[in-house]
Amino acid sequence: MASQLLEVKDLSVAYGDVRALWDVSLEVKEGEIVALVGSNGAGKTTLLKTISGLIHPLKGQIVFAQEDLGKQNPKHRVDRGIVMVPEGRRLFQTLTVRENLRMGAYLPKARASFDASLERVYDLFPILKERANGKAGLLSGGEQQMLAIGRAVMAGPRLVMIDEASLGLSPILTRNIFDLIVALNEQGTTVLLVEQNVNMALKVCHRAYVMKTGRIVMSGTGQELATNDEVRKAYIGSRGSTAARGKGGRAQ
Amino acid sequence: MSSGSVLLQVLINGVLFGSLYGLAAIGLSIIFGTMRIIFLAQGTMIVFFAYVCYWLAVKAGIDPYISLVIVTPIAFVVGMGLFYALFRRAAALEDRNVSLLLAVGLLWLVENLMLQFWTANARFVSDAVADFNIRTHGINISGGKLIALVIAILAALIVTLWLKRTRVGTAVRAASEDMESTTLMGINSLWVSAVAFAVGLGLAGVAGVSMASVYAFDPGYGFTFSIKALVALSLGGIGNVFGALAGGLILGLLENLAAYYIGAGWIQVVAYAIFILVLIFLPQGLFGRRGVVKKV
Repeated sequence: MASQLLEVKDLSVAYGDVRALWDVSLEVKEGEIVALVGSNGAGKTTLLKTISGLIHPLKGQIVFAQEDLGKQNPKHRVDRGIVMVPEGRRLFQTLTVRENLRMGAYLPKARASFDASLERVYDLFPILKERANGKAGLLSGGEQQMLAIGRAVMAGPRLVMIDEASLGLSPILTRNIFDLIVALNEQGTTVLLVEQNVNMALKVCHRAYVMKTGRIVMSGTGQELATNDEVRKAYIGSRGSTAARGKGGRAQ
Repeated sequence: MSSGSVLLQVLINGVLFGSLYGLAAIGLSIIFGTMRIIFLAQGTMIVFFAYVCYWLAVKAGIDPYISLVIVTPIAFVVGMGLFYALFRRAAALEDRNVSLLLAVGLLWLVENLMLQFWTANARFVSDAVADFNIRTHGINISGGKLIALVIAILAALIVTLWLKRTRVGTAVRAASEDMESTTLMGINSLWVSAVAFAVGLGLAGVAGVSMASVYAFDPGYGFTFSIKALVALSLGGIGNVFGALAGGLILGLLENLAAYYIGAGWIQVVAYAIFILVLIFLPQGLFGRRGVVKKV
């Protein structure tokens, strides 16, 4: 159906002598929600940071919309339409909600469509319009996550990569955020999700990859993986498992 | 002259001199925001720009207050150049000590260059406007010092508006909070740091001109001035432009009170005692944000 948007080929990354990613390959098609799941330290965030251009790979290739990104800097990648929502929101706490959104639309192309993007964000997250002149640091956890996503939307992205959207949120808020991510996707934005809340992620995504100690160990549709015994045992089923840290996943 | 008006005179002189500390502290505050170092060469750069003002007056006969519009842009450009020449690589390092040591190296380099060019003799730029005195009720207010205060307040106002209202200014505030996050927005963080640094140096230009026509200066004064600016900044608190200015005014006031009540020799003792006491009991300063201190 849809064309390839992002293709990661044989990507290897190391922090000094410590290898973080081993020959990772994945693809994201235009219009998809793709989830990247796995336990803490599996290399999910490292992969997103490498795609963003914050980290340079040892080897491998990242192709976005037919362009080999090579050693392009983060600015170039944002301009091309890859925007990352970092783990822990990383908002500008002392700036107002509107100023945060303004920073999201910093580059000339995004600035040109500032008004339309702002309307889109306020439409998705009406609470942000109410809080527009308040400091971002005063928002609740859920609102902060909305702002973090909204800030990314302001850049006019083709691909939004969201790192741990559910982190620190209650089950209800987590569902809420995931509903909004689906709504964003239905508007045509492709989404790459990194999640520890495996249950929830597999429910909303079209396809998913499972990562373990720097490698992709499994892939399939959300449905396939959600019913896979190995996945269930390792990431969803057992209560005591550290991998099932995302407690929100149990609220159904 | 009554003792009341003498005290008033002391207070006025203190505030007027403190405006220079305040200007220097604002520069430190802006530079600290993105670079995460105390730019210890700030005072030396202020003295350097005072010499530039002096040269413009002596060689070209340019009035110091007119040279303000020449020296400030020069200082801004010098700031850009220094940032890319010295701090480009160091700014990317996790370890902030390299940047700090570069600032210290720059301090001594510029100080010794100035000694070669202008000797250690104190200089002063004479100016008709600055030398004018306002006398009323037994109080004597120097025109030049009053102008220095007005310039400091205007500079604080302009910098505040720039930080709040402009896109680049907002990006400087954003980068001061979270550099990686600004990078993820596609903002060139290095450029934003360079602009912030250049604005800091531009303020050194303003302070240099203000100083040149009011106080005698020599190359060695720069380092002391940097440290005084640091004391003012710690008093005012980081992350607040008018806080930094107020810190400077308060420091000037306290120094002059110390000179009056205890003796001129005690000025330095009092200044550094205040510094240490503030750091112990009020680490966020009088007007600083608690969050900033927690994060740093």
